[in-house]
Amino acid sequence: MPSYELALVLRQMPRPELISAIRRTAECILDSGGIIRKLENLGTRALPHKVSEHGVVHREGTHFNIAFDTSPTKIADLKEEFGRDIDIIRRHVFKIEEPEKFKCTLHQEMLPPAYRKDVQEMIEIAKRKQKPKYNYNSGLDYYPFQK
Amino acid sequence: MLKLTKSLGQSFTITNLAGLRALNRSYAATNVKEGAQLNPDEPIDMPNPFEKDPEQCILCKHDITPYYKNVKLLSQFQSPYTGRIYGRHITGLCKQKQEDVEQAIKRAQRCLLMPGYHKDLEFLHDPKLFDPERPSRPHKY
Ligand SMILES: [Zn+2]
Repeated sequence: MPSYELALVLRQMPRPELISAIRRTAECILDSGGIIRKLENLGTRALPHKVSEHGVVHREGTHFNIAFDTSPTKIADLKEEFGRDIDIIRRHVFKIEEPEKFKCTLHQEMLPPAYRKDVQEMIEIAKRKQKPKYNYNSGLDYYPFQK
Repeated sequence: MLKLTKSLGQSFTITNLAGLRALNRSYAATNVKEGAQLNPDEPIDMPNPFEKDPEQCILCKHDITPYYKNVKLLSQFQSPYTGRIYGRHITGLCKQKQEDVEQAIKRAQRCLLMPGYHKDLEFLHDPKLFDPERPSRPHKY
């Protein structure tokens, strides 16, 4: 089962209701056969802009993250279920992936264009796309192709 | 014999030079052999001892992976006037890191962690990582 992260924004409400809303979403994940790995509270604060959701305009919200494991086929059902919950303003499920190791390529990118690999590739493609052209001084006194 | 000692001396000075730069490359063994065979006045084939280390972008240097919950870091790559993400020619990041930063900012904006049309007032006076007035390449527009 792959790991996912659910980023929730809940509407402004008193603490007991908030707890019940989070419990509802967590139970929803558990009912679909998932495992909860981590609960993370990112705090209650003013939203960066007003958000209209479920017919109400929200200006404050609570950010809450749930890290969980579940089957990828269940994600669509979970999203649909969270979408119907009127306490949730935003719900996004992200896959948790290990960042790939790579070497910094900045020194190659700072080279003059002629030395850069992507520019060389572009020139190569442009050369390949060039059509053969009729040479007018080849001795023929008429144009041998259709005009 | 005199010739040999001369060439030996020359190769030693070269190794001394390299040693001064504290580069862990050893030329001594190969250079002595070549110097004994060839004319000592000929240039020796060797890698440039004065070559600088490859340049790295600021995120690679400190080994930072941009993540959408790290709003304080991400807001440094945003214009305080329009909220737009600065381009690679301004931020000075490598291609991969710039892509990661852009993806993380867009994610944070969708999760209502970050504003899209301005910079968060909390982070307005954060230290600057780069100067938007002095891009490494001219602006697109
Ligand atoms: Zn880099």
